[in-house]
Amino acid sequence: MNIATQLWSDPLARAAFWSVTTIVFYLFTKALYRRWPRWWLLPMGSTPALLVVAMLLLDASYADYIRGTHWLMALLGPTVVAFAVPIYQRRALIRRHWPVLALGMVVGSMTALASSWAIATVLGLDGTLRLSLLPRSISTPFAMTVSSEIGGIPDLTAVFVVATGVAGAAIGGVLLSWLPLRSSIARGSLFGMGAHGAGTARAYEVGAEEGAVAGLIMVLVGLLNVLIAPVLVHAFQ
Amino acid sequence: MSAFNAAASNAMSFVRRGLPENRWAQAAVLVAFWLAGEGAVRLLPIPLPGSLLGLTALLVLLSTGWLRLSRVQRGAECFLSDMLLFFVPAVLAIMDHREFLSLLGVKVLVVILASTVTVMIVTALTVDLSYRWISRHEHRDAVVE
Repeated sequence: MNIATQLWSDPLARAAFWSVTTIVFYLFTKALYRRWPRWWLLPMGSTPALLVVAMLLLDASYADYIRGTHWLMALLGPTVVAFAVPIYQRRALIRRHWPVLALGMVVGSMTALASSWAIATVLGLDGTLRLSLLPRSISTPFAMTVSSEIGGIPDLTAVFVVATGVAGAAIGGVLLSWLPLRSSIARGSLFGMGAHGAGTARAYEVGAEEGAVAGLIMVLVGLLNVLIAPVLVHAFQ
Repeated sequence: MSAFNAAASNAMSFVRRGLPENRWAQAAVLVAFWLAGEGAVRLLPIPLPGSLLGLTALLVLLSTGWLRLSRVQRGAECFLSDMLLFFVPAVLAIMDHREFLSLLGVKVLVVILASTVTVMIVTALTVDLSYRWISRHEHRDAVVE
């Protein structure tokens, strides 16, 4: 007991504890989702949910948690660089369908920004909260960059991105059965544009071509939004 | 200047030939691209995040054939397959925002759900219609020829 209390008061031991707990929970929920692929078991949502429970039980603060796990977030940097590989691998897809893909991404991004802004305004949300909601349709590493650029709170945006991914993976399948979509490229862009990473995983369940399109759209839309972020600052402030 | 050029071309030929197949070594190469990108945006007036500059550089090297895909593919998989893990810590920021356990949280959820449905419908219909339009025209052109 004494040793446990001593360890718990040591910042380094606590940092190691939260890092290991995060990784273990992640591997656990990943295995769980592989066994039961239900949208509410998506590791994207279930890993943070388990960690919230652990933090509440141990009465830990976010400041304490993030001090120990910040190094994991730093790995988002090389992850963005790694996206060059899937873009390069799908160059044939880009070359063949670039007008359709470009149109879908521009229209999709505009719709995401405008509808978030409009609905938030109607519901009386404003300020940094409304700005933090804007980039939630793009993948986390890009969304956090855009968020800080336009004056939102990147951490809050990360929460909204995850909510969007989990909700989008669930809703996308329903929409797919309602909409009269004849091309796999349209089905893939529905998931890639609407629900980034979680949507891409879901699109691969529909078909390989849908998955490839969704993954490509996810990456390119992230890049597009980071590039137009300086313009967005003027549009929304 | 010529010494610099020689050093640069030496480094390039190392990158071309010397990169190992080991995925951790490849992952380290991607980290190097990222750090180089971060360094460059700090030194030069480039209005881009460093990681994006690293992505662009890697994409250019792959497209021009300077770097073979097999030299970075495994390293990229390391990062991309477990990307979720890297942003979990940011999501826990929710612990500092208990104000969302109220009507405010419901409103935010409504924004997210309604906007996501809108984005999905508009994007999918735009892509589907333009895809059909383009393939119809390509078909007609083919008939004319």
